[in-house]
Amino acid sequence: MEEIFKRGVLTLEGFENVRIFIGKIEEEEEEWEPMGPTPMPAISTIRSWDFKLLRRYKPFYAPFCDFCCLCTFGKCDLTGNKKGACGIRMDAQQGRIVLLACIIGCSAHCGHGRHMLHELKRKFGDVEIDFGPEVDIEAPLTRLICGIKPRRISDYERVFDYVEEELVQLSDALHTGQEGSYLDFESKALHVGMLDSLSKEAADIIQMAAYGMPSSKEGGGPDVPLVEVGMGVADTTKAVILVIGHNVVPAASIADHMEESGHEEEIELVGICCTAHDVTRYKPKAKIISALGRQLRVIRAGIADVIVVDEQCIRADVVESASRVHSPVIATNEKAMHGLEDRTDDPADEIVEDLVSERVPGVVILDAEKVGEVAVKTALRMKDKRRKMRIILSDEEFQRWVGECIQCGSCTLACPLGLRIGEANAKAASGNKEALASLFDICVGCGRCEQVCKKNIPIIDVITKAAHPQIKEERGKIRVGRGPIWDSEIREVGAPIVLGTIPGVIAPIGCGNYPNGTKDAWLIVEEFASRNYIVTLTGCMAIDAALWKDEEGKTVYEKYHGRFDAGGVLNIGSCVANAHIHGAAIKIAAIFARRKLRANYEEIADYILNRVGACGVAWGAMSQKAASIATGFNRLGVPAVVGPHGTKYRRAFLGRSDIEEDWIIFDARDGSEVRIEPAPEHLLVACETVEEALPMIAKLCFRPSDTDRGRSIKLTHYIDLHEKYLGCLPEDWWLFVRTAADLPIARRDELLKRLEDEHGWVIDWKRKRIKEGPLRGYDPSFDPTNLRRLIRKK
Amino acid sequence: MRAREVPFDIANIPGQETGRIVSAEVAAALISASHRPLLVVGSEAMRDEFFVEKAIEMGEKGVAIAATGKSIRGFMRKGYKKVQYFNLHDITNRLRDPDWKGIDGNGNHDTVIFFGILYYYASQMLSCLKNFALNPLIRTISIDRYYHPNARFTFPNIESDEEYKKMIEKVVELVKR
Repeated sequence: MEEIFKRGVLTLEGFENVRIFIGKIEEEEEEWEPMGPTPMPAISTIRSWDFKLLRRYKPFYAPFCDFCCLCTFGKCDLTGNKKGACGIRMDAQQGRIVLLACIIGCSAHCGHGRHMLHELKRKFGDVEIDFGPEVDIEAPLTRLICGIKPRRISDYERVFDYVEEELVQLSDALHTGQEGSYLDFESKALHVGMLDSLSKEAADIIQMAAYGMPSSKEGGGPDVPLVEVGMGVADTTKAVILVIGHNVVPAASIADHMEESGHEEEIELVGICCTAHDVTRYKPKAKIISALGRQLRVIRAGIADVIVVDEQCIRADVVESASRVHSPVIATNEKAMHGLEDRTDDPADEIVEDLVSERVPGVVILDAEKVGEVAVKTALRMKDKRRKMRIILSDEEFQRWVGECIQCGSCTLACPLGLRIGEANAKAASGNKEALASLFDICVGCGRCEQVCKKNIPIIDVITKAAHPQIKEERGKIRVGRGPIWDSEIREVGAPIVLGTIPGVIAPIGCGNYPNGTKDAWLIVEEFASRNYIVTLTGCMAIDAALWKDEEGKTVYEKYHGRFDAGGVLNIGSCVANAHIHGAAIKIAAIFARRKLRANYEEIADYILNRVGACGVAWGAMSQKAASIATGFNRLGVPAVVGPHGTKYRRAFLGRSDIEEDWIIFDARDGSEVRIEPAPEHLLVACETVEEALPMIAKLCFRPSDTDRGRSIKLTHYIDLHEKYLGCLPEDWWLFVRTAADLPIARRDELLKRLEDEHGWVIDWKRKRIKEGPLRGYDPSFDPTNLRRLIRKK
Repeated sequence: MRAREVPFDIANIPGQETGRIVSAEVAAALISASHRPLLVVGSEAMRDEFFVEKAIEMGEKGVAIAATGKSIRGFMRKGYKKVQYFNLHDITNRLRDPDWKGIDGNGNHDTVIFFGILYYYASQMLSCLKNFALNPLIRTISIDRYYHPNARFTFPNIESDEEYKKMIEKVVELVKR
C-alpha cells in the first residue's frame, strides 16, 4: 500500500526507491484556440523578431555620461566608443543602461500588479474576470504572450511568476561580464518592454475586476462619466485628502471609509497622477487635481489636510515638502516608506492624535483599511487646525522675495529647461507678475532652482503665488478612464484603420516633462481628433490635455466623443491602462484579420507593424516606466514620438529612408521581395518642438498596407500639418506616393506636376496617371510581412 | 560677457573630454578651414529674425544648412530655399554614418555647427557625434549661447543677448568659403 511519509512525498510498495514529487497542481487550460508557437517566451525566443526590427531601426545612442561606474574596475572612460576594463564598449554600455531603465519600469508595473493581486484577493476573494458583453477578448496581451485566457484574477499568479522569472534573468544579464553586444542588450530591452505591457494588462485587469471599474457593462466604454480636473477644483471649505501615486488600493479604502463613516460630504478626495485616474474609475466623485508635473506645487500650495502616498512617481522629498505646509503624510506601501515609523499595528486614534498634533510628520500604515480610517479622521481634524494658518505667501512676502533676487543666474543653470527665472523676478519686483506667472505652466516643478538660490528665495512658492489667479480658474473636465476598447468597436473600425481611411490611432501617454508646458498635450489631441484620427490617452498626458479649453469653454473630452472611432478622444486610464492600447492593436489583428492570437507574438507584431497605423506620443516622457512602455510598444510594431527630453533616454530607434536595403520586405502571397516606402520611418524618435512633432506623428501612421484611398487621406494630413506648422511641403512626401490615387484629391494636379518637374517622374497627363517614378506601384492585394515563415507559396 | 566654464545645465558633466571654449573669431576660423561644413539650425533661432538672417548669410557664403525642429518656417518666411528640413535625431544619425552622402549628395560633412538648438537636445546629439562619429572624425562647433561640454568647440554661457548677437555677427562676418 502506498504510504504518505511527509507532505508532498509518496512511496508505492515495491517502488521504495522511486519518489514522485507533486508540485503545483494546475487546472488544464480550456481549449479556446490551438496553442501558438511562443507561449511565455524566454529571452531568446523572439530574438529573431527583435533583430529584424533592429536591422531596420538601428539603435542610435546619445550617451548621457561617458563613464561606466558600475564595478570596482572603474570608473572607466568609454568616450569615443572605447572599451572599459571589462571589455564593454560605449554602445553596449548604453544598451545596458537602457535595459536597466526598462527593467526598473517593468518591475514597477509588475510589482504594482502583484501587490494588488495579493491585496484584492484577500479583500474580495478570487474575483471572476468579466468585462461585459462587448469584451470577449478580455486580455489580449495575456493571451498573446502567455497563451492563457484568464478567467479569475488568481490566473495572474502564473503570469506574474513568468514575468518575475524573466526579470531576474534579465537583471542578471546586466552584471559585469555578461552580455557584450548592444544588439542583444536591445533585444533584451524589447523583451522587457513586452513583459511590461503584460504586467500593465495584468494590473489593470485585476483592479478592474475587483473594483468593478468601467468596462463594457452599463455606464462604461464611451459612456463613462466626466470628472473634474485642475488645481482649482478642490473645495477647500471641506477637508482635503490628497492621494499621490499609482496604486489605488489605499485611495479606494479612503473613498470607502468616507462613505461608511458618513463623512462623504465633508471631505474632498483629490489625487495626483495615476492613483487619481484609478480612484475616479472607482468613485467618480473623486477629483483629479493634477498630473505628476505639478506635484511639488500642489503640495506646497498647502491644499491638502492629509497626503496619502502609495507607490511610483512620488517625490522623494514629499515628507519635507508636506511638513512645510503642515500636511501630515501617510505612506502606505513598503516600496516607499520615506523613513517614517511603521504604525500599522497601532490603534487608529493613537496614530491620528500623533499626526494632528504634528508630533510626527507622517507615518507608515501598511493596512489599507486602516489607512482609510486614519486619513479621514486626520483630514477632518487637520482642516480645522490648518484653516487658521496662513500657508501661501502674502503679497508683502512675495514682493520682498522677488526684490531679493540678485540676477545671479544660478537658478537658470539648475533648471532642466533653462528658464530665465531671474529676469521674471526682476519684472515682478517692478510690479509686473506676468512673466513669472507665465513660468507656472512651463516649469516642470522639480525645485532644483531653490536649492541653488543664493538668497534662499522659495522660487516654487513665488511662481505659484504669481500664478494664483490662473490656478484658481484651472478647472476642466476629463472622462474617467474607460479601460479596454470593446471588441464591437474593433469590428466597426478594424477595416478603416487597416485600409487607412481612419488615418491613425494616436496615443498620447506618459509623464509631464514637457519642453514648453501642458498646452502642447492639448494641441496634439485637438489637431488629431479634429482630423478624424482616434486619440487614446493615458496617464499624465490624459490629465494635462484636459487643462485647456476651446473658445466655447470645452475641454477635448467635452468636445469629442469617447468611442473608439474616427474623431474620438478616449481617456483609457492610468499608466497600467496603456495595455488596452496595445490590446486594441492586437484585437484588430485577431478580430478583423482573424489572425491566431494565442502565444503568437511575432506574427501579430508583424501584422501591426505593417498594417495598423498607430503611433504613441510620450511628449513629456520622464520615468523609467516611460522607457519600458515605449519599448513595449516598439516590440509590438508601434512607433513612438517623444519630446526633446526623451533624448536623455540615450537611445532611439531610427530608420534611414535613404538606405534601400532596409526597406525590403516579403509579399506573403509568393515570397517576392518588395521595396517599400519608409513606413513607418522610425520606431522611436524625438522632436524638438510640438510644431515638428505634429507632422512627424502623422508620418509615422503610414503603413505599407494602406489602400490608395487611405494613403491619400494620410498624405493629406501629413502634408497639411507640415505646411501648417513648418511652412512648407515635407521633403519626403513623394516617397509615399505609389499611384496618382495616393495623392490628396484637392491637390492632385499640383503634386503630379511637382513629381514631374522636381523628381523626374513620368506622368500620363491625359489619364492623370503616374507611368514611371515611384518606389513601387500600388497593389491592393499586397500582403506585406517581415516573416519568411508566413510566405504561403515559395 | 560673463563666461563660465560650467555646463548650461549645471549637472551635465559628461566625462573627461569636454568642449573647448572658443571666441567668435576662432569659431569662424574653424568653419572657414573645414571642407564640408554643415550648419544645423534649430527652433530657438526662431526667437528673433536676426538669427535666421545670420544663418542665411552663412548659407550665402557656401555653408550648407539643415533646418531642424520648426526653424524651417523661419527660412521659408524669408523665401530662402537653399535649406533642407531634417529632424535633429535623423540628421545626427546620418552624420554618424561615414557613408552618408550629405545633404547635397556629395558626401558626409567634416564639420557640423549647431546653432539655435534646444540646449538639452543639442547636448545629446553632440554626445552622439563625440562618441560615435570618429572615423572620419566630425568636428562639432556650438555657436549657441550656452557652454556645451559635448561639443568639441563651444561658446561659453553668455547672459546678454546683445553680447551674443555681436558674437554671431562676428562669426558670420569672418567666415570665408
